[in-house]
Amino acid sequence: MMNSGFDRRDFLKVLGWGGAAVALSGCGNGSVEDGKETVVSYVETNDYMIPSISVYFNSTCAQCDAGCSITGRLREGRVLKLEGNPDSTINRGKTCGLGQAGVQHHYNPDRVREPLLRTGSSGEAITWEKAYALIAEKTKGVSGEEIAFLSGGVSGHLKVLLGNYLDSFGCKNHFAYEAIAPAVLRAANKKSYGVEMPRFNIGKAKVVLSFGADFLGSWVSPVHFSQQYAQFRKGVDGQRGVLIQVESKMTLTGANADRWLVVRPGTEGILALGLINALGAHGVALSGDVAAAVKGYDKARVSKDTGVSAEQIDKIVALLKARTPSLVLAGSAAEGYAHGSQNAAAINLLNQVLGNVGKTVEVAEVVPFPQMAPTTGNTAALRKLNDGLAAGKYKVLFSYAANPVFTAPGAMKFKDNMAKAGFKVVFAHYLDETALQADLVLPLDSALEDWNTQVPEYLATCAQINIQQPLMEKLHANTRGMGDILLALLKQRRAEEYKGFEDYYAYLRGAMLKNKAALGGGKLDDDTFWNETLSKGIVKLEGRVGGLSGRASAAGLTLPAPAAVDAQYPLQLIPSVNASLRDGRHTNQPWLQESPDPLTTIVWDSWVEIHPRKAAELGIVEGDIVEVSGKNGSIKAQAYLFPGIHPDAVSIPLGRGHEAMGRYAKGYGVNPFQILDPVFDKETGELALHETRVKISKAGSRVIVVKDEGVVGGMQMGKKIAVRVSSDKVKLSEEV
Amino acid sequence: MSVSNLLENWSEFRHLHPVDDVPHDPYKWAMSIDLDACSGCNACSVACYAENNLPVVGKEKYAHGQAMHWMRIERYWDEDGREFPDQGAQFLPMMCQQCEAAPCETVCPVGATNHTPDGINSQIYNRCIGSRYCSANCPFKVRYFNWYDYPTTDNVWPAEMNQQLNPDVTVRGKGVMEKCTFCIQRVTVAKNNAKNEGRIVHDGDVQTACQQACPTSAISFGNLVDKESKVYKQWKAQQVELDKDAQAKDKNEEGRSELRGYRIFEELRPYPSVMYLERVRESAV
Repeated sequence: MMNSGFDRRDFLKVLGWGGAAVALSGCGNGSVEDGKETVVSYVETNDYMIPSISVYFNSTCAQCDAGCSITGRLREGRVLKLEGNPDSTINRGKTCGLGQAGVQHHYNPDRVREPLLRTGSSGEAITWEKAYALIAEKTKGVSGEEIAFLSGGVSGHLKVLLGNYLDSFGCKNHFAYEAIAPAVLRAANKKSYGVEMPRFNIGKAKVVLSFGADFLGSWVSPVHFSQQYAQFRKGVDGQRGVLIQVESKMTLTGANADRWLVVRPGTEGILALGLINALGAHGVALSGDVAAAVKGYDKARVSKDTGVSAEQIDKIVALLKARTPSLVLAGSAAEGYAHGSQNAAAINLLNQVLGNVGKTVEVAEVVPFPQMAPTTGNTAALRKLNDGLAAGKYKVLFSYAANPVFTAPGAMKFKDNMAKAGFKVVFAHYLDETALQADLVLPLDSALEDWNTQVPEYLATCAQINIQQPLMEKLHANTRGMGDILLALLKQRRAEEYKGFEDYYAYLRGAMLKNKAALGGGKLDDDTFWNETLSKGIVKLEGRVGGLSGRASAAGLTLPAPAAVDAQYPLQLIPSVNASLRDGRHTNQPWLQESPDPLTTIVWDSWVEIHPRKAAELGIVEGDIVEVSGKNGSIKAQAYLFPGIHPDAVSIPLGRGHEAMGRYAKGYGVNPFQILDPVFDKETGELALHETRVKISKAGSRVIVVKDEGVVGGMQMGKKIAVRVSSDKVKLSEEV
Repeated sequence: MSVSNLLENWSEFRHLHPVDDVPHDPYKWAMSIDLDACSGCNACSVACYAENNLPVVGKEKYAHGQAMHWMRIERYWDEDGREFPDQGAQFLPMMCQQCEAAPCETVCPVGATNHTPDGINSQIYNRCIGSRYCSANCPFKVRYFNWYDYPTTDNVWPAEMNQQLNPDVTVRGKGVMEKCTFCIQRVTVAKNNAKNEGRIVHDGDVQTACQQACPTSAISFGNLVDKESKVYKQWKAQQVELDKDAQAKDKNEEGRSELRGYRIFEELRPYPSVMYLERVRESAV
């Protein structure tokens, strides 16, 4: 069974490796990488390393920004598997599939291993000394206005160092960009509740009415919400929670709803106002301005606009009245329009009218170190950067943890605009589309090799600072941690101030120890405190608690009538977010490529979801290659007939369609980001992801869709395989 | 196992599922999966890839039905002809049901798949000759055959990726059948640890990889002999009995409808070790 490519020696060879975070003498990575058959015996082993015995180290998952705490299992100095850390109040020992694949980010064969410098059309590997010297040279004499730093969301000490580096130039051009972020919702929440991200207590709600919030899949903090959901299903006081999901394209959360309601795209806010109106008619007290604002939204009109029947509206209203507290959520499907802010405001207003604020919508605790608080990403930042680049404002551009060449709408011409920057430095794990446009690519340590602190945007039950620590020795000698790079760059600018810190680890340790008392370690000596902190992987804090402010007010709330049908482009394009692939930054992890999309069960490719009725109209069958074209380009992909979508919409998942990045990502599927219409939310300036109008036509060929479901397409054929029962037939409170 | 021996002593060989005179002792591993909690998110499936050295076969081989996912999520739609699936979809995590009278075991010409005393349907890789009869006879279609030698196939475990392989689990070569083992490597560690301490495994000492990852804690795994285990309590509460081919719920559909525990393909009498709890849907909306 074992054969030459994969013998025992592969396991033996790595016995010489050190464990987490400890520099190791003797046999280094080289012996594994270059195939030298050196077996180094354990003359003197580390205390914790016993062959065949696993050891565990705590750290923080970096696959998304939710901040789940993880425990890495190590054997002989290699990290093998990531599990959730039960002590975290965010994930309580659980992980999602994306988090599980974190090891494939670390061991990925397509990671960048050397600093690369572009000369003309080719690149060459250079040393770090040369790379740093180049940055010093290119930034010399450049004013703060001429430097731009693009990043994903950042928090913790990395954010502090980044801020200080930019400060050293007097630069204020930090653009935090996330292609898929609840940025419109943050602004709407700020207005409605006084905070950008309150705590949503799904577990305490008896009814959850979600307008396109995919909280079980990809929304905000899915692992945390999944646990809350399990609690919600078991029920408060023995009464099982009821989930109603309103959206135009079924998400994973929608697939788990008791009632899934399809609405005409963009009319989520109208339905929310219609429900307020109906609640008022059923005796719920409405303040004067709210009553006035919803006056026109009677059942007949709302039903006509949204496509939700009047009978269904009555049932929802009866349920919301009978079972309190409830919880109303506004998700990305409601946000993604030019009137996204208004949609979100209308939905938040419904929460207020139902009296949920203070019950299921609560104030979240805040980490008492504002300088470490997360800077969350959004798309308005990218737009601003893009405008600056187009105007040729920047001499030096840095990019970290973002791939805008892949995720910016094609119409923004980001790639062309990026070329106008004088010198482009990209900090990268892979040679992705953005890294390929760089002048200098600096290879980063993986999240399992690097030091960091992280403060999650969504804090579950207590304030916490997450520790990210190396779980094993670096795989590649010439990658660096982002913190180390920033520190080295800072030393170019403020040598005196930072000369005491040998590396980022020293900086981090020093900074944490300085605040030992505030971090709850006042009575411990430095080493004990530090070791305990690393061992736990989490610092739990007494959070600062404010109150929720804002009252139910309909001031400034105006919703447009449903958009008229565009004769040329009659369909709405819904770019869907898959829980594993998100915005495409992890597409090169093969487990995620081969993990079927939960709803379509398709793997390794993109697809176009079309409602069977629409498909019949157009003569499209499953596997037909269809061309989806809009004002800003067209893409071709296989059709999949999907009942959970509005007939006037089509949906293509985001995350695939890479032209670079690595062997598992490149060339699989299409990238719908490229054909998005550049329409923006009127209030926040966020990209309206759902505003693209398209038409579809058959492109001629037909393929067999590669998917996990059988040929009968999800039918049980009379067999009792997955069985459902009506809630009045069971007594959940009596179960184990 | 000669054929004549097999035929002469047939009833003895078929006697391996538990009945009163041969109870499982001290272990019978079993599962229960709450479909009302399961969200179909696939975390269990990816966790299984990570734990059990499952190869990623790639698009072409996946299209040929050669995916190696020991744990898969099946998705079903209602078949009532409605235009929209307004009650959502039905998800079902499906893996080897560790049947007590496993149809796969009786057809193996070399005895590569058989039953362990603690009630797991085991697969002995280096005895397997690849006849694939077991897969043909499995009603759940949860056996996966190595059509290729994945360790030497390009881009399955290229350099560095191979360092993630779990040394507690064999890397299978071409020509053998494999399937879910209830994370036998974890069970073995827990059993050994317990033995060293002179006790039996307590509930919670061992979790399968899928159970540990599951964000909604839909999966319970444990010892059905242990009356303190959650699995035992769940099976008991649902009146599902391991050695019966019709459960209380099936016998009296009308009167007993508050139960929601069931096993798939009960009528085929494989006596599965996995109980599912029916998904619940609100009647008021």
